[in-house]
Amino acid sequence: MKLLLIEDDATTADYVLRGLREEGHTVDHLANGRDGLTQALGGTYDVMIIDRMLPELDGLSITRAIRAAKVTTPIIFLTAIGGVDDRIEGLNAGADDYLVKPFAFGELSARLAALARRPQAQSEQVMLEAGDLKVDLIARKVTRGGQEIDLLPREFSLLEFLLRRKGRVQTRTMLLEGVWDLNFDPQTNVVETHISRLRNKVDKPFERDLIHTVRGAGYRIEG
Amino acid sequence: MKARLNRAEILASTPLRQALGLMGIVFAILLVTLGFAYVALRSSTEDSIRADLKQQTAVFQVAANPETLSVIVSAEARASDPSERAIAFVMSDGRQVGNVRVTHQGDRWVISRHPEYAPLSKHGYFTLTMPLAGGLLVIGESRAPIAELTSTFLAILVFSFVPSLLVSAAYGAWVGMRARKRVSAIEETLDDLTEGRLEARVPRDEVKARKGDDLARIGARLNVMAETQEATVAALRQVSADIAHDLKTPMQRISVLLSELQEALPEDTPPRALAEQAGTEAERAVAVFHSLLRIAQIEGGSPKARFARVDLGALAADITELYEASAEEAGGALTLQRPDAPLIVHGDRGLLGQMLSNLIENAIRHGGPAPKIAVSLSRERGAIILSVADHGPGIPEAEREKVLRRLYRLERSRTTPGNGLGLALVHAVAGLHEAELELSDNRPGLIVSLRFAAPGQSA
Repeated sequence: MKLLLIEDDATTADYVLRGLREEGHTVDHLANGRDGLTQALGGTYDVMIIDRMLPELDGLSITRAIRAAKVTTPIIFLTAIGGVDDRIEGLNAGADDYLVKPFAFGELSARLAALARRPQAQSEQVMLEAGDLKVDLIARKVTRGGQEIDLLPREFSLLEFLLRRKGRVQTRTMLLEGVWDLNFDPQTNVVETHISRLRNKVDKPFERDLIHTVRGAGYRIEG
Repeated sequence: MKARLNRAEILASTPLRQALGLMGIVFAILLVTLGFAYVALRSSTEDSIRADLKQQTAVFQVAANPETLSVIVSAEARASDPSERAIAFVMSDGRQVGNVRVTHQGDRWVISRHPEYAPLSKHGYFTLTMPLAGGLLVIGESRAPIAELTSTFLAILVFSFVPSLLVSAAYGAWVGMRARKRVSAIEETLDDLTEGRLEARVPRDEVKARKGDDLARIGARLNVMAETQEATVAALRQVSADIAHDLKTPMQRISVLLSELQEALPEDTPPRALAEQAGTEAERAVAVFHSLLRIAQIEGGSPKARFARVDLGALAADITELYEASAEEAGGALTLQRPDAPLIVHGDRGLLGQMLSNLIENAIRHGGPAPKIAVSLSRERGAIILSVADHGPGIPEAEREKVLRRLYRLERSRTTPGNGLGLALVHAVAGLHEAELELSDNRPGLIVSLRFAAPGQSA
């Protein structure tokens, strides 16, 4: 992917740049708001990563200016604040996603992948598959190797969510947002518990594991 | 909010009540003055009628015998209308002449109609009886003048009072309506400010162009207050944003450096373990910082501007479902009891969800081994009650207030995970939603209950 990073803090920028380049992305980096906006309007990117606090022009204004110029490239907003209103403010300005500092690189990477794939035309799919696992979305039936698996409604939603994003890492917060529609970080390992229950039904009785844990990031289902 | 004025509000308005009160006093004074005048005039009229009556008897006194008197009385009777003057002469043998009949009842002579003459006065008579020429002369003068006097006075009362009552009530209602409109402009502004819309102001024309009357002054002061509050909140936001940025940038760097350190160290060695521990601690510091910032923002009231209808029942079902597995992993159980109908409150779904999560997490953490947690929702006299109960060691009564404070932790909980902000956030969210928060004894255990006012029709 071709990415734009507008971030003034050198340590954070280095870290993000290194990680993204290791993943094989091409990244342009700018450290101040004014130059960042010029670059954003001039180049073509798959996703733009914009910090909220920037010298010369702040991230919210850049985002608004980009949207005003009818550029629809997905934007992920980085912020140090992360209070109750800031998330809404960023999204209202036209950002597509939001990440509060400090963040783990895995979280950023997973969210970038999710943003780059939008919009997905998967809604008409009636059958999701991964290896020998088949999920019939209409009959709400799950089978693996021909053997029927009985799932609770939420376990079904969780599996469906992962399958629709097959091969891509989904972080705990992404799962909480997508499956439970909740925007906060629980202190306990609720998501882990649900994943482990799902694994007990979907993976444990079979030879090959489909749901993989990505260390420091989240979960991914492999085909 | 309530832009339309209803009748009850106008009736309750001060100017109308004052106008009506004043009218009451005027009416009382009028009643007393007219009353005195009426009583005085009436007694003088009565006196003059009686004097007149007495004078008339003089004519009859000239007759020496009953026959002559009968003739005079008969002549007089034919000449007078019995409704104005009644006259009768009862002779010693009981025969009567006159334009009315008289009968002796008890010690009084009662006048009744004579069939050959016109009807009697409707208002009764002042009567005078006097023994004359061996018989009894009865003369009655109609009380009609007195009745006329009474109706004249009543007319004066009605004609002077009713128009002024109507005029002053109308004036009072008009002034009341105008004042009410201005008061509701102030009330609306206050409502907006309380709900976190700090840009709300009393409209300019309500404040100005009224030569500085009391309502205009209150409006102007309210605007000054709102401006100060808005500026303070903006300053506070700026300061917390600055602190957040200045503190979080180094924190971000620390986590970046720590994760790079972790990668650089070989796995399963003591230095790697140290680096991982340092990473976890840095994450905790960030979490505490986040929570403090969030609580401060919630207490600032700004999320109120985003309030919407939230079904607490459905939200509780989502959250309990999320934690059910965790409670079971801990060897306990999490149950939800709720009515089937939706329980709508006016609020922020995310914050309410976080509040309930904090309560359930607390119960899992501090509810003893194998925590049995009961979440319940009910409707009680217009309010919605949400409660989370456990059977753990509970919180001593003396400590219940303190645990709602930021960073306060019970002595025995210092070793368990958590940062002492969970209940402070619950407290802040409850306050934001104007819900009553109560911590009580579950014998054994803790019950945390929240009482939400169900939204009214206007909300």
